[in-house]
Amino acid sequence: MPLRTNENALVQMAVTGNISQPGLRYPGYVPDTEGNARILPGMAGIVYNARVGDAAFGWAADHLEPGVSIANPNQDAEFALHYLTCMGNKATITSGLAQGAEGIVTGEHARLLIDFPDDALELLCVGDSVQIMAEGRGIQFIDYPQIELKKCSPELINSMPIEAIDDKRIKVPVAIELPPRIMGSGAELNSEYVDQDLMSGDRELMADLGIDQMRLGDLIVIPDADHRYGRGYRKGAVTIALCIHGDSIMNGHGPGILALMSCPEPLIEWEITSEANIANYLNIRTDL
Amino acid sequence: MSVRSNVDKLVSVSVMGKIASPGFPGLPAEPYRLDADGKPFLLPTWGGIVYNVSVGDSVYGWMGDCVHPGVSISLDDDRGNRGLNIFACVGNTAMVMTGEAKGTRGIVTGKSGRFSEQVIIHFEKDIRTKMAIGDKVVVRAKGVGLQLDDHPTVKIKSCSPELIENLEVTSTDDGKLSVPVVGKVPAHLLGAGAGLTSEGGSLHIQTVDKEALSEAGLNDLRLGDVVALENFDSSWNHGFLRGAMGIGVVGQTDSPRAGYGPGVTVLMTATNEAIEPRITAGVNLKELFSITD
Repeated sequence: MPLRTNENALVQMAVTGNISQPGLRYPGYVPDTEGNARILPGMAGIVYNARVGDAAFGWAADHLEPGVSIANPNQDAEFALHYLTCMGNKATITSGLAQGAEGIVTGEHARLLIDFPDDALELLCVGDSVQIMAEGRGIQFIDYPQIELKKCSPELINSMPIEAIDDKRIKVPVAIELPPRIMGSGAELNSEYVDQDLMSGDRELMADLGIDQMRLGDLIVIPDADHRYGRGYRKGAVTIALCIHGDSIMNGHGPGILALMSCPEPLIEWEITSEANIANYLNIRTDL
Repeated sequence: MSVRSNVDKLVSVSVMGKIASPGFPGLPAEPYRLDADGKPFLLPTWGGIVYNVSVGDSVYGWMGDCVHPGVSISLDDDRGNRGLNIFACVGNTAMVMTGEAKGTRGIVTGKSGRFSEQVIIHFEKDIRTKMAIGDKVVVRAKGVGLQLDDHPTVKIKSCSPELIENLEVTSTDDGKLSVPVVGKVPAHLLGAGAGLTSEGGSLHIQTVDKEALSEAGLNDLRLGDVVALENFDSSWNHGFLRGAMGIGVVGQTDSPRAGYGPGVTVLMTATNEAIEPRITAGVNLKELFSITD
């Protein structure tokens, strides 16, 4: 049985954005970890061939954002889009050939990332508007107040097989465990905004720990990381997160890890399972 | 100079900034920031003329958040400010060009990164009292392009030739660059700045977990201390890499925010254990440059 939450008290509110166009700053190069100048796609736009459930590593891409990336040109509305949208929220195309098509929010990076079925992708145009029914801000576990939830829709929480261990501790399924010393870019931001990249520059370590097997949409645990207010090291803390974007060639960067739960004390335990991906839990894909 | 370099080939160029005003986000935003436990705080932070905090002072204990000792300068024009932030090197001379303090000289002691991007300059305290926000300061930038003849894999950044000389870096018998430092920062205590540019800005030591800070022997840090950054490669951006080592100088005070703490301006970096830090007490800009208050 799902853990009890205050979902009946949550407000459902529309926020909107438009499908973004990939952009490059002249001359487009970024240095990789070896100092080679590279130009790669990845961020923004409609990505036709990468979805949650696919590999996070190995693409000829940088910060690959799966599915459709949307943003709002008005700064205040853009922040509302970022701060109110939760993972697992429902999105609807509200203009263009695919009007009425429905998708699911799977990430928050520089833009909001939404998974749409293939037949909808075919009909989407850059600039089409997408509306999200935002719900999840303020969500709490009724019986586990020490555990802070971030950007979790009720659908996501209810779909994850979270177990109550006792009156203080819970157990959460995750696909991969990350050592805190590889948490990188994003430490400078507030932790209500976007994600923190794991630093994948030590390729041998990625292979040794199996981190290079990570998939987009995987649930992740970072022990000794407190992501409640900012993102920092704290012995004993636990953060459960979601892999939202793909690997990066840039030093200090890598797949994007977005916090879903955080607790300053060791009250979240975890179990490693390859099932722990939102493509499974939210029934986004049946082909995995 | 204890190691040979291309110092005679370096170009010395002017980069100008104006003394920066402290700033806060506009209404209706709260003026508070949040500490690592979510408690709001309102404290002085970067920018401005700081009259009573100087290089050589402790980084800890101040009622501030990443305060810059001495004087902070920046340029409104983003491209020009980038030139200032990248070309200014720690140990470069700065001169006040306008206002009551014109003609007086200071020394670059650090840089700050994303969201502030200022260059931090030491001037003696009585000079600070004559300065005004907006006064122009020219830094005689020299150091970008610096290479050590016998250590081609060591990348030098934000570091004046004078600092290399005063630091008394040496070559070890097995060809490594030996650099004196007061302490080593383990990778799990490096936070904000990761993934951002390593040609300017700062990489912050995380101080929220006091026990971890103590285990690393970092609870006596002073502004201006030279430290080693373990398993971090700052060749192009800052990022985790086993066997890499950075050397940096502590530029700003501690912070109550998660992921933050004293900022470090990176001076050198190398992979494959080409840099060998040697723990030495008192390796600080104040002594290295005979800085007086």
